[in-house]
Amino acid sequence: MDHRIVITGIGVVTPIGTGCEGFWRNLLAGYSGIAPVQSFDTSGYNVHRGAEVKEFNAKEYTLNLDAAHLGRASQFAIAASRLALADAGVEIRSIDLKRAGVSMGTTSGEPREVERFDDSYVSKDLGRIGPEFLSLYPCHVIAAHVASELHFAGVNTMIPTACAAGNYAIAHALDVLRAGRADLMLAGGSDAFSRITFTGFARLGAVAPEICQPFDRFRKGMIPAEGAGVLVLESLSRARKRGARIYAEVAGYGLSCDAHHMTAAHPQGDGAARAMQQALADSRTEPEEVSYISAHGTGTPTNDRLETIAVKRLFKDAAYRIPISSIKSMLGHTMGAASAIEAAVCALAVFHDCVPPTINLNEPDPDCDLDYVPNYARRLRVNVAMNNAYAFGGNNASLILRKWELSN
Amino acid sequence: MMRNRVVITGMSVVSALGDSPARLYASLCEGRSGIKPVRGFSTAGLGCPLGGEIADFDAANYLGQRNLRPLDRTSRLVASAAQLALEDSGWSADVRKGDEVGLVLGTMFCSVHTISEFDRRALEAGPAYASPMDFSNTVINAAAGQTAIVHDLRGVNTTISTGVTSGLAAIAYATDLIRSGRAHALLAGGADELCFESFYGFDRAGLLCRSDNCAGDFPIPFDARRNGSALGEGAALLMLEDAALARKRGARVLGEVRGHGASYDCSRGHDDKESVEAVAYAIRQALHDAFMLPNEIDCLSASANGSELGDRHEAYGVFAGLNGQTHRLPVTAVKSMLGETLGASGPMQTVALLETMRDGVLPGIPQLETIEDGFPLEMARAESQEAEVINGLINSVGLDGHCCSLILSQCDR
Amino acid sequence: MSTDEIRTRVKKSIATITNISLDEISDSASYKDDLKLDSLTILEIAVDAEYQFQVQISDDDLGEIRTVEDTVRMVQQYLSPAVV
Repeated sequence: MDHRIVITGIGVVTPIGTGCEGFWRNLLAGYSGIAPVQSFDTSGYNVHRGAEVKEFNAKEYTLNLDAAHLGRASQFAIAASRLALADAGVEIRSIDLKRAGVSMGTTSGEPREVERFDDSYVSKDLGRIGPEFLSLYPCHVIAAHVASELHFAGVNTMIPTACAAGNYAIAHALDVLRAGRADLMLAGGSDAFSRITFTGFARLGAVAPEICQPFDRFRKGMIPAEGAGVLVLESLSRARKRGARIYAEVAGYGLSCDAHHMTAAHPQGDGAARAMQQALADSRTEPEEVSYISAHGTGTPTNDRLETIAVKRLFKDAAYRIPISSIKSMLGHTMGAASAIEAAVCALAVFHDCVPPTINLNEPDPDCDLDYVPNYARRLRVNVAMNNAYAFGGNNASLILRKWELSN
Repeated sequence: MMRNRVVITGMSVVSALGDSPARLYASLCEGRSGIKPVRGFSTAGLGCPLGGEIADFDAANYLGQRNLRPLDRTSRLVASAAQLALEDSGWSADVRKGDEVGLVLGTMFCSVHTISEFDRRALEAGPAYASPMDFSNTVINAAAGQTAIVHDLRGVNTTISTGVTSGLAAIAYATDLIRSGRAHALLAGGADELCFESFYGFDRAGLLCRSDNCAGDFPIPFDARRNGSALGEGAALLMLEDAALARKRGARVLGEVRGHGASYDCSRGHDDKESVEAVAYAIRQALHDAFMLPNEIDCLSASANGSELGDRHEAYGVFAGLNGQTHRLPVTAVKSMLGETLGASGPMQTVALLETMRDGVLPGIPQLETIEDGFPLEMARAESQEAEVINGLINSVGLDGHCCSLILSQCDR
Repeated sequence: MSTDEIRTRVKKSIATITNISLDEISDSASYKDDLKLDSLTILEIAVDAEYQFQVQISDDDLGEIRTVEDTVRMVQQYLSPAVV
C-alpha cells in the first residue's frame, strides 16, 4: 500500500475568485472580498460586512443533480470538486467509482434550510416546509451531494469540526488512502453565508466593523464569510503513473482538543501547540524545516495573540524566521472551508515557491511580533508548509505539506 | 503499515430502555418497547405521535452538581454516556492524564433544536438578544467539545456526521486511529436527541409510521406490513483501546473490533440495484478488512427500522454481501424497540450485540409475523432466540445513501 | 420597576445561568473574581438581562459592568431614560 499521498488537483469557490488560477492571482495581489452583506438584511445588527461569493452560477458545475434542489454549501462543494478534478486532469470514466471517495468538513452544513424552517415557524406557516427539508438540511448532504453528482460510491464522510473542519477532512482522506480503502479522494470543506453564524459572532462582539486585520495592533475581529475548497488526493505512485502535475505531498497531521472552553482557546495555546507538534512528528519534520505557516489568524484580539504564543512555544527562536500569514485578511473567515482553502494555498505555495500576504497589517502589535508577511506576497523557497486551524469546541488541527521530491 | 488490534474495554448507553447495557439488553430480550407517545413536544398536525423518548432524563444523575446550563440536551446525553463509559472501562479522572483519552462522536443533527431556538429568538426579539451561550451549541461538534470540557478529554476529538451511520462510522474512524497508533484509547459512539425540528423533518418526508397504523405495534422492521420507522434518541459510547495496552493495564475486555467497511449509494435509495449493491459492498469491505469469510458471521444486528425501502435494500444487500449464506443467520433489529436513534443507533446496536455475546440471547423483532415471499433473512424472528455469537455483523444503512458495516468478535477467538 | 425587583430578577437569572445558589450571589459580588465566571457566561448574563428587561446596553456601558450591582444599576438606568 502506498504511504505517500499527494495533491494533484485544487478547486476553490471563494469571495475573491472561483477556480484555482484566478483565486491564486488575486490572493497574491492582496485582493479583499470583504463588502457589505448582501444575502440578508443586517439593519438590526451593529455590524454589516462579510465576505460573500459573488456571481456564482451553480448550474455551471452541477450537471447530474438539479442545482435548484441543493443547498448553497452543497453547490459550492460540487463546484469546487468539479474544478479540482478538472485541475487534476482526472477522467472520471477511468476511475473505479467504488474506490473514489469524498471527505468534507463544514461548520453549519446548510444553514439556509434551517433558517427557512425558522422563518416559517415564526410566521406560523410551517406547512411551507415540505418533505425536502430532511434531504436538504442535515450537514452530511454536502458530501453526499458531491458523491451523487459525480457517482463516487466509496467512502463518504462529513466531519463538521467547525473552523478546523477542512484540515480534519483532509487528514481523514489521507488515512483512507493510506489504508487502501480508496484510490482517489476529494477532500475539503464548504460553508455558505449564514444568518445564524453572523448573528452569533456579532452577539459575541467578535465581528470587525470594516476590515480583517490579523495580527495588527488595532485589529477588531473576524469577518464572517463563505466558500469551498476541495483537493484531489491520490497516491504518489498513481499520480506519477498517469503523469499528473503534483502540487505537494500531504506529509502528516496532528489533532488535539483544548478541553478548556467552547469559544475561547486555551490561554497558553496548549492544544494548538500539541497539534502542531504532532503534525511535525507525524511528518518527521524538524521545526526549522518549516518554510511557511498558514495561520488560523481570524483577526480577533485573542486568537492572534494566543496563536502567536503557541507558535513561539513550539518553534522557539525559529518562530521568528518562519513567514506566517493569514489569508483571512482577504477572504474573511470561510468557516468549515477555511482550512481547506488554506491547505490549497499551502499546496500552491509549495508548488510556486511564493506565499500570500496578511493584508491590512499597518501597525505592529508588541504581542504579535513574528513575520506575518505584511501586505505584499513574497517569493521564497517553500519546502514545507504548515496549515493551522482552531475551532469552537477546542478542536485543533495542523497539516503539513511538503515538496514531494524531498523524501524524508 | 502498523495495524494494532482494537478491543472494547467499556461501554455505556443512555436510552429509552435504560441507562445501562444490562438494562437495555434485558428490555430488548423481553421485547419491551421504548416507543410511546411523545411528551417532550407537541406532535399535533403530524402523522406520527410516537417516539423513543427518554423520559425524565436528568444529566445531574450522572454528572453531579456541576453547572449544566451551558450544555444542551444532546451535550448532556453525550457527557452522561461518557461518564458511564469512563467508569465502566476504568479510565477514571485519576487514571487518565488529559490527553490519553479522546472522543470520536457520531451525530446526525447534534443540536438542530438549539440552532433553531437561537435563530428564532433572534428573529422574534432581534439579533441583539440572541443568546451567546446557545451560540456555542449551534456548531455540530458542540456535544463533542462540551463533553471534552466536562471530562478533560484532550486527545483526538472528532465529530462525524453521516446521517444514520454517524455512530458506527465514528467507531470505524476511532478504530483506524488506534490501529495506526495515532491514539491508544478513544471513546467512540454517537448521540442524537429527539426534538420537534428533526421529528418534523422525518414526518414530512413520509418516513415515520403513520398514525392510523400506530397501535403501539409499529414499527416492525422486515415485516411485510411495515410502513415506516419511529424516531428515538439517546447516546451510546464504547471505549476502544489498543489491545496490547489494554492487556498491560489489566483492563476487562468485552470484545474486539475486527473490521469495518463503508460505501455510498449514489441513488440514495431510488435505484434498487444500486442500493442493494451499496449495502453488499460495505459488508464485503468489512469482511475483507477483518480477513474473514461470510460463513464466519454468527449473527446480524440489522439497521432495519421499519422503512419500506430501507429494510428491503438491507435484507437483499446482506444476502449479496454474505454470498447468499444467510439461511442460518440469526437476525435482530433493535430499532423495533428503540426507534431510529440516528447517530446513537450503530453504537446502541454494538452495546446490545456485546451483551448478546456475553449472555447468549439475541433479541427478537416484536410483532414480526408477515414475511414477504423470497425474503432472504429466514432467521429473523419475533421472539428472542438463543445464539452463540463469536463474530457479529452490525449494519448502519441510511436512506440518505450512507452504508457502514462493523464486525465484532469475542476476544481470544 | 423598583430597584429591588430588578435585583431579584437579575440574581435569579444569574442563578439559572450559573447554577450558583441565590444566597451565594451578593450584590457586590464581582462576576470574574468572586463568582469566577468566564467571559462567555458574563456576556450571557448581560444579554439575558437585556432580553428580560427589553433594553439594549451599549458596548461601552457593558464593558463597565463588573459586579451584580453594576448590572442592576445599568438596567435601572436604561429603563428610565434621563429627561433632558
